[in-house]
Amino acid sequence: MILAATLAWQFGLAACVPLLVRHFGRNAGYPLAAGYLVAAALLLTRLPVILDDREVTVAWRWLPGLAVHAALRMDALGLVFALLALGVGALIMAYCPRYLSGDEAEHDRVYLTMTLFAAAMLGLVLADDLLVLFVFWELTSILSFVLIGQGGRPAATGPAVQALLVTVAGGLALLTAIVLLAVHLGTTSLDTIVAEPERLSGVPAWVVGTLVIVAAFTKSAQLPFHFWLPGAMVAITPVSAYLHAATMVKAGIYLLMRFSAVFGGSWAWDGTLIAVGLLTAILGALLALRQYDLKALLAYSTVSQLGLLVGVIGVGTPEADAAAILYTVAHALFKATLFMLVGIIDHQAGSRDVRELAGLHRVMPATVWLTALAAMSLAGLPPTIGFVGKEAIFEALGGAYGAGWLGWSAAGLGVLASVLTFGYAARLVHGMMEGPTRQRQLREPSWAFLAPAAVAALAATALGPTVAVLSPLVERAANDARPEGTPPYLAFWHGFTPALGLSVLTVLLGVLMFLGRVRVERWLRAVPTAPPFAALFERARQALVHAGAVVARTAHAPGPVPYLARPLLAAVVLAAVAAVALPDVPAGLGGDPARPGDWLLLGLLVTALAGLLVVRSALAAIGLTGVVGLLLSAWFLTVGAPDVALTLMLVEVLTAVVVMLALRQQPPRLAPVGRRRPVAGAALLAVATGVAAAAGTAVLTRRDQVSEPGRWYLDRAEDLTGGANVVNTVLVDFRALDTLGEAVVLAVVALGLVRLAAGRPVVPASTGPAGDDLVLGLAFRVLAPVMLLASAVLFLRGHEETGGGFIGALLAGTAVGLGQLAHPGGAPLLSRLRSAPLVAAGLLTATIAALLPLAAGRSLLTPLTLSTPEPLPSLSTSLLFDLGVYLMVLALVVAAVRRLGMPPARPAVPPDTVGAR
Amino acid sequence: MTGLLLLPVVGPLLVAGVLLALPNRTGLHRVAAIATMTGVLAAGLVLLVRASGGALTVLRVGGWPGPIAISLAADALSALLVTVTALVVLGCLVSAVGSGDDRRPYFLPLVLVLAAGAGGAFLTTDLFNLFVLIEVMLVPSYVLLSLAGGAGRGGAGRVYVATNLLGSTLLLTGVALVYGTTGVVGLGDLAGVAGDQPTVAVACGVVLLALGVKSALVPWHDWLPRTYPVASPVVVALFSGLLTKVGLYAVIRIYAVVYGGDPGYRWLLGAVALVSMVVGVLGAVGENAMRRILTFHMVSQLGYVLLGLALFTAAALAAAVYYLAQYILVKAALFLCAAAVRAGRGTDRLDGSGGLAGQRPALALAFAGAGLSLAGLPPFSGFLAKFLLLRAAVETGAWLAVTVAVLVSLVTLLSMVKIWSALFTGEPPASSSVAQRIGPTLVGPPLALAGLSLAAGLAAAPLLVLADTAAAGLRDPTAYVRAVTGR
Amino acid sequence: MVGVLVAAGVFLLLRPGLLRVVLGFVLLGHAVNVVLLAAGGLGRRTAALEEVGSDTADPLPQAFVLTAIVITFGITIHLLGLLRRDAGGPASGADPTDGDDHTRSGDDDTGSGGDGTGGAGGPGTTGRRR
Repeated sequence: MILAATLAWQFGLAACVPLLVRHFGRNAGYPLAAGYLVAAALLLTRLPVILDDREVTVAWRWLPGLAVHAALRMDALGLVFALLALGVGALIMAYCPRYLSGDEAEHDRVYLTMTLFAAAMLGLVLADDLLVLFVFWELTSILSFVLIGQGGRPAATGPAVQALLVTVAGGLALLTAIVLLAVHLGTTSLDTIVAEPERLSGVPAWVVGTLVIVAAFTKSAQLPFHFWLPGAMVAITPVSAYLHAATMVKAGIYLLMRFSAVFGGSWAWDGTLIAVGLLTAILGALLALRQYDLKALLAYSTVSQLGLLVGVIGVGTPEADAAAILYTVAHALFKATLFMLVGIIDHQAGSRDVRELAGLHRVMPATVWLTALAAMSLAGLPPTIGFVGKEAIFEALGGAYGAGWLGWSAAGLGVLASVLTFGYAARLVHGMMEGPTRQRQLREPSWAFLAPAAVAALAATALGPTVAVLSPLVERAANDARPEGTPPYLAFWHGFTPALGLSVLTVLLGVLMFLGRVRVERWLRAVPTAPPFAALFERARQALVHAGAVVARTAHAPGPVPYLARPLLAAVVLAAVAAVALPDVPAGLGGDPARPGDWLLLGLLVTALAGLLVVRSALAAIGLTGVVGLLLSAWFLTVGAPDVALTLMLVEVLTAVVVMLALRQQPPRLAPVGRRRPVAGAALLAVATGVAAAAGTAVLTRRDQVSEPGRWYLDRAEDLTGGANVVNTVLVDFRALDTLGEAVVLAVVALGLVRLAAGRPVVPASTGPAGDDLVLGLAFRVLAPVMLLASAVLFLRGHEETGGGFIGALLAGTAVGLGQLAHPGGAPLLSRLRSAPLVAAGLLTATIAALLPLAAGRSLLTPLTLSTPEPLPSLSTSLLFDLGVYLMVLALVVAAVRRLGMPPARPAVPPDTVGAR
Repeated sequence: MTGLLLLPVVGPLLVAGVLLALPNRTGLHRVAAIATMTGVLAAGLVLLVRASGGALTVLRVGGWPGPIAISLAADALSALLVTVTALVVLGCLVSAVGSGDDRRPYFLPLVLVLAAGAGGAFLTTDLFNLFVLIEVMLVPSYVLLSLAGGAGRGGAGRVYVATNLLGSTLLLTGVALVYGTTGVVGLGDLAGVAGDQPTVAVACGVVLLALGVKSALVPWHDWLPRTYPVASPVVVALFSGLLTKVGLYAVIRIYAVVYGGDPGYRWLLGAVALVSMVVGVLGAVGENAMRRILTFHMVSQLGYVLLGLALFTAAALAAAVYYLAQYILVKAALFLCAAAVRAGRGTDRLDGSGGLAGQRPALALAFAGAGLSLAGLPPFSGFLAKFLLLRAAVETGAWLAVTVAVLVSLVTLLSMVKIWSALFTGEPPASSSVAQRIGPTLVGPPLALAGLSLAAGLAAAPLLVLADTAAAGLRDPTAYVRAVTGR
Repeated sequence: MVGVLVAAGVFLLLRPGLLRVVLGFVLLGHAVNVVLLAAGGLGRRTAALEEVGSDTADPLPQAFVLTAIVITFGITIHLLGLLRRDAGGPASGADPTDGDDHTRSGDDDTGSGGDGTGGAGGPGTTGRRR
């Protein structure tokens, strides 16, 4: 429970940040530091339990179906890392107030993200479930991104993005590893997985191992992923000190230690860690040697030191684990100190370039001497904790592979890295001490600014001789990392061991190198040391963006043609595949249903279509389309679909009327067909689609039985609904929901037309009755009443015979259209019809008719019939429903005729459109 | 109880009619529309509760017997989607108040009709009715698209209508061929038929092809990024939550019921899914305006859902359902962020000024949450969705899919970061009025939706149970079929 | 019959000019209607009005066709509306070929300033044809 409480405390602290900042301003760091210490104290209350080789756990069900629990567990290893996160965090928080300038919003941001980060780090090292661990792992990456890009300086964006992408890529590797573990072991509990390493073997083990290594290497900035860390130095110094030196980069170390229990001892795992780790250590140190910017120097130093840690973990003996843990603590202490001090120098002197800081020790002695103290730790000089740690590392490296020649080579590489480390540590201190003082006006910072760094520096020094204090915890932690073997008791003085010899050797060589630094430097400048991973990464990113632009280009084609071609092509492919794959269609299924009359119609149809394809006149094209429609209506009549035929005919007429109206001001000619090659392509695709469609229809529709529902309708429709026209009963009774839908479609189109035409004068005043066409006018006057009457009749009799709401409304609509053609200025009577109210009325009528049966306790759209005296048609909800449909259809026609038929009052072009062009 | 099934379909239509009958009363319209969708949401929740207990709610429209009536049915999947889309519509309605979209004439009635069509499409069990309801949904979208904004919509409108009309034509052809081969169009009656009869499989293949066009799967995807970005962001949010999802839902349903999850076609689905994921995310990285990036991501994310369908194990289907449900919320949140950004800055292009994080931290929070969720980062729902999907893929040994899914996720993050860096960090513009134009009605909805994503990630258990129920229903549609056919 | 209709329709769809596209869709709509009726079986051809006999046509596809016709009609009208509006716009005077708005295609908003992605710099061959 204490774990959950601590975590909650830390998140609660983050929630309090705005409050604290409002109250204390930038001094909010001090209460926050106290808060961190409280969290640390809470955890330390469990120290006895931990040292007693027990652990503290707490768990809730999170995803019960997947056996994933929100579980926390603290053993010694977790405690060490948690204390690091909180302890260093407290120091940094105490450092922030004097460092930060800027406005309150920035304080808010910095403190909030840092405190959240501390909580995330805490969660990471306390998580017992890999999924929970992953959540916090990614959270640290995200917060790191936020902190690097803090304040949004343009220069920070690139590095922040780089750091995020690299670490998240590693995170995804970790996620994949977790998924593999979950699938293969059926659990994501870290405890269980670590406790039974033998359950994972073979290929999955290899894959998981590799993925975990990738994850850890990205986070801990190992080759070849190291480049993000120096880039991250654009962040403010407290962030660099905390995230990119002391804690976040240690998450990779933590992960490797945890998984050592599973993969340790395997040749590949150990070898990779040692090789990459030591290589990174050396390369990082070489790069650090080349830097003048102190912060960059420290960044590469961090890369190098982390490499050393990774190498030691790879050794995999109890000594090595203990060494790694001790050195993690040591590194966190002295590296955070160095960063803080460099931050102070930067803050006071306005520069971090070592060449401009000459003679600094005369004006800022305390700062410089503290730096020297921390640098001693870095270089591994006694009496610091760095010395003890490095000693332990040499010993561990020497013991690799049973202390054979491989072990000694590892130790040799370790020494090399340490010599280089000594070199840059010396350079760092020496740069501030040599020569005349460049900036005489500088002053020592306030004690409050210096205090956190001083505490850390002194602690790092004092912990050398008193390292035994840490011994029980480190031992336990090493045991947690790898249960076999007994880790050694830590001591400042081991006697004259080979490791001590290596330490002495390191110092000697380091001093030699320092003495010959001019030559070393020249040599370093000449030799290219770093493969351009960062540039490669950037180039890959650019390539990706470029590829994206290429991919996106297809979506910029202006016209609809390319968007239509592909689905059509796919349909053709589908047909072709089906033709190949389908077994032979049972021959003679229903026979050939064609009759002589069909062929005649087909011939006419082909003629009309051929004409349609070649004509250049818009009018002719419309006319021929109309002819095609009429031919089809005729055909529909012959196949026993009079309703369809009638509707189609009316629709054709109406379409023609509307098209004419819409195109009255259009040029009479169609756009040219286009260049030859696209035409050929289109023709080819057209023919292919045609063949596919024909074949598909022929093969897939040859049924000779009436379908089951069809039979049902034929047999029972009249009895059930009282309507003799089965098709109509299907429409308004059985499948009324479809009909409601289609009517709504029309209603919406009507609204759309009203909207499309908005902005133009609704009734053009300019064209008076003078423009009326006399012949049409007469025709209209004669025909309109007839048509309206017929429309009413058709509507009412729909249930019994051919007719119905649609057909009736279409006929009425045709009358309206005719009126518009005849009287462009507005036909009498009809001009008063407005489509929007018609839509509203229709929609309401239809939906209410649909819902009325509910009131009667029946289902939706159940027809209800009121008994009425004989001569009147029975009043049923079906009829009411049909009336709604009628109104909506009429609304569309009115809208179409009126809106499209208006003279071309040139629309007011919206000003922004003009601007955009 | 079955009356609940009507609410998502007929309710919005009725209110749309009322609103049209009472024009020029914006306040009333807003209240009515929001109340309606709240009602739909409530209905969806009740259906969801019923469905999670395994009970299907079925309504035979008109009270006719099984194979004759058009039946509406809500199993866990349908109810979940109705609920989630109602949430999205609500969010859009509130945002529309802030962005001023809903002052356009007929905006609210059109949205309601669209919602009715989508709700119906999720619930119907009849292929032809599906076609009709998809049209009911699409036609308002045609109008909304052409209503919106300024230049460029003419061409986009044409592409949009033409592509969707072709899709509808194909769909209708497919339905016709299904009827031609089987004599029925009810899903219940068609259960498993495509697995048994190759001719039906071909006919239904046409239906799936048409739905693929409508859900903008690669290689029929590019109409989507071509057309959506011209609409107002609120409208795009609405579209993204409803339109393509209906297509995808139908693909899932038809493949599960009519094909019975026939393994012979899974490789094809899988290939389409992977290619969609890759092409979508690449396009997103290559684009330069928020809406364009986000529309390309739709292609990519739909690929993820389809991947779950292609794997067709219980775990994969549950992952797909969970993915779909949370993704609808997340994407709507992102588009509503775009709406807020556009309301503030006048554009959502990335080359303008940034600094929004300082000016509107709540909006930045909403975007960050939704963006991270989209990229699959914890603790948001997108992470869990991706985890479930990866898990299912590993279980079936689909290594290629695992690799692609992981890499696409990284590239997704890249493009989200691109938006973030360009709009939210950096120097704020000189004029300070930007922040004032982004009112609470614009910030609230995306923040709420992002919060839901967080909740769905942290307290995932109920949603996962639902997803499991839905997946079980898809793997074994017997109960669904029995309830629908009444046999 | 379907084949011819589809071929002609597709050809029209793939050619420039919105009016052609509209007519192409009209033809495709016809084709689908024929398919629908064919799906009911063309062997029986008596209207389902009075007496139900062995030759009575399947009524369900006819209902489908009716619905489909009406929907196609609606969308055709909408397309015409678009055509009409665009024709009345700045590029009026020609049958609005699809290239007409190429110059606008890259942009997205109300006058949000520049358009960098594609439109303005794109190939101008289809620009303004008069």
